Amino acid sequence: MDLALTPEQEMLKSAVRGFIQQEYPKNVLLEMAESGDAVPSEPWQKLVETGWMGILIPQEFGGEGGSFTDAGVMFEELGRGPVPGPHISSSVLSAFAIMAGGSDVQKREWLPAIARGERLLVPAVTEADYSWHPEDVHAVARSNGSGVQVDGVKVYVFDATFATHLLCAVRSENGNDVGLVMVPADSPGVSVRPLEGFGWNLAEVRLENVSVDPSNVLGGSIAGGWSALIQGIGNTIPILCAYQVGACQAVYEMSVEYSRTRVQFGTPIGRFQRVQDHIINLVNQLDAARWTTYETLWKMDAGREATDSIHLAKAVGSTAYHEACNFAHEVHAGVGSMTEYGLTLHTAASRTLYHYLGEPRVHKRLLADTLGL
Amino acid sequence: MDFEPRYTQEQEEFRQEVREWLKDNVSPDISHPADSAKSGPEQYDLRRDLGRRLGSKGWLWATAPEEYGGGGLSLDHAVVLEEEVDSYGLTIPPYYDSGGRLGGASIMVWGSEEQKQEFLPKIFRGEVRTWQLLTEPEAGSDVASVKTRAERNGDEYVINGQKVFVGSDLGCDYMWTLTCTDNEAPRHQNLGWFMIPADLPGITVQPMDLLIAGGESGAGSGVKNTVYFDNVRVPAFNLVGGENEGWKVATTHLELEHGSGGRIGRNWMVDNLFDYCRKTNRRGEPLTKDPDVRDRLIDIYMEAEVARLFNLRNYWMRHSKTNLTYEGPQASYFRKMSGLRMSTAILDILGPSALTHDETWGAGNGHMESHQRSAIVAIHPGGTADIQKVIMARRIGIGREVRERAGALA
Ligand SMILES: Cc1cc2nc3c(=O)[nH]c(=O)nc-3n(C[C@H](O)[C@H](O)[C@H](O)COP(=O)(O)OP(=O)(O)OC[C@H]3O[C@@H](n4cnc5c(N)ncnc54)[C@H](O)[C@@H]3O)c2cc1C
Repeated sequence: MDLALTPEQEMLKSAVRGFIQQEYPKNVLLEMAESGDAVPSEPWQKLVETGWMGILIPQEFGGEGGSFTDAGVMFEELGRGPVPGPHISSSVLSAFAIMAGGSDVQKREWLPAIARGERLLVPAVTEADYSWHPEDVHAVARSNGSGVQVDGVKVYVFDATFATHLLCAVRSENGNDVGLVMVPADSPGVSVRPLEGFGWNLAEVRLENVSVDPSNVLGGSIAGGWSALIQGIGNTIPILCAYQVGACQAVYEMSVEYSRTRVQFGTPIGRFQRVQDHIINLVNQLDAARWTTYETLWKMDAGREATDSIHLAKAVGSTAYHEACNFAHEVHAGVGSMTEYGLTLHTAASRTLYHYLGEPRVHKRLLADTLGL
Repeated sequence: MDFEPRYTQEQEEFRQEVREWLKDNVSPDISHPADSAKSGPEQYDLRRDLGRRLGSKGWLWATAPEEYGGGGLSLDHAVVLEEEVDSYGLTIPPYYDSGGRLGGASIMVWGSEEQKQEFLPKIFRGEVRTWQLLTEPEAGSDVASVKTRAERNGDEYVINGQKVFVGSDLGCDYMWTLTCTDNEAPRHQNLGWFMIPADLPGITVQPMDLLIAGGESGAGSGVKNTVYFDNVRVPAFNLVGGENEGWKVATTHLELEHGSGGRIGRNWMVDNLFDYCRKTNRRGEPLTKDPDVRDRLIDIYMEAEVARLFNLRNYWMRHSKTNLTYEGPQASYFRKMSGLRMSTAILDILGPSALTHDETWGAGNGHMESHQRSAIVAIHPGGTADIQKVIMARRIGIGREVRERAGALA
């Protein structure tokens, strides 16, 4: 047993942390949140140039072939921002879906392009009846002559505004299968509309008479696509959880610092036990997320059966991020709700990630099934 | 990262040796009642006997130095011993004892060479059982405010006062305690830490009637006492750490007691409960098929997993000599509160069968009923749940002007 990171992982961690501090300071993150332009930005270009987007993609497909723990270390640092952009959606989830279900040709075509950040392939799965169940997918792929025609409305799609391509979950013409089709975001008939409000980079994606080449159907057939997505989600959750851990850590540090410096009634507010309660609740959430995540990453790397840990980590981790932000708001009171302070960047992210890839309630149910209850 | 204990060839060989030995030395008459307060002197004697046997092999306190009666073995060996003894439903030591883990560890850090030679071998070989006497009627959470007075008189100290909520059933050989050695000196500079033979004249032990059940491994432990000191004359030799230096000694065992030690292992109560719910039908279906019950069971499972991971982390941090700050009290706080929430869930799921240990109508051979009680009382020993939070806040660096450091463990 050894719960420490390797020296290489420690180096990666400080390299990413240094990069984020340099390229994604608070004012930049606030501007991105305001404009919605996280991707054409200079920091994103630099982030892509580091090659880190290919961390989980095998070397034979142009990636770094890193371990889950390596990637966890890196994404934990991105979570501290929270750094926006299709890093998890494209370079982790879509990449894993392609690795799981793509043909050799598709892997050679897509994975290197995703690793280099040239293609930003964002999964568009959920619809009006929001869920991560195949029954709720109603978008359809029909064959029309030599091509495939896709129709449907995808809603609450995370990161869709950044996409060059959309990995759309679609139902087969006969209704029996649900699979995945890669749709260029600039195809005629595709429209992406940001959903304004408290969501974090959520959008509606409309697909009307969209024609795509049959080579864009993952694995060459609609059948089998859904299971590739599910496999991809299973592999992505530990990374998403690592991102949430970094985010919780940043929220924690912010709150500790504030409680040391904010003075009321002649004393730093951290001296008040009510305030301490909030900080302690926060750190307990943080550490619960951290260690359920780390154990999952280890299981993935060690080739252990990890299904239970994946559901546990997502249920614990998404609850933790949500709660951590609530506790931080208690500690900060008025200041925390001022956009310019930066806490609300996390608060907004925590709400969207709560649901992304399934909310805690869903994963608790799946955990019960996995445990054979 | 590697979350799994790895066993070397040497460990596996040691495991074989331990297995063989335990087969010959663990009495088949040792029983495990749900409420350990219910097992009497015969069970205690069996367990003490096993303790002595383990002790004479150096397996009772395996990692303690050989020169002081310990096993001088590595942590790797201790892990194997714990696992093998655990397979008999036993712990090391197999009875309530505050000597090796807390008292002995403090003497190791703060005792003089002569004191180590005098006290440690008896403890580490399992020859004596030791109680911890901190709490007083007016000094609970604020343990530094103890009033039990120790006054120097020639080569002795004369001790007068009263301790409460201490010890166990069936007596002990030694008591270690914190006293006031100076009425005038400032707080934390006025205390003395003593190792006191339990048979000295003037010591009276009176059992308290409490809600507790079990909680501390072994026979007869679900009992706490009031201990009176009436002009008890203790050799000055038995003062550890020096006059007015008792607080620093206390920081060591308080740190250990606040959960910093960590542990490997899982909460068997969760398995018992799952099992019970799988086998118990309501309206023709196992309880586990009721959506509300599933939901509660998963909440319990998740908290138990987090508690397991906190303990595992602390275990690793301690043994890899990584600096601990708030982690000890965090694990302790989480364990206490999740235990209480678990008892609520058990009551909710099982109904009144969780409230009786009646042989016919009580759930889970009385284990559920005993959990209902112990979960409440477990909030308090070793510092209340709220006190764990007080300590966390200090360690995080918000509770006080100067960030508090963890107590010395070595
Ligand atoms: C089963 C059991 C076994 C025990 N075993 C032993 C033993 O072996 N040896 C021994 O010496 N003692 C033992 N104790 C005593 C135990 O350590 C004390 O009960 C405990 O430290 C609390 O002290 P108290 O009961 O006097 O409560 P108090 O200290 O009076 O606390 C009452 C309430 O006030 C709160 N409080 C106190 N101070 C603060 C503060 N600064 N900030 C916020 N809240 C505060 C507490 O959290 C609690 O909620 C045992 C107790 C039990 C129940």
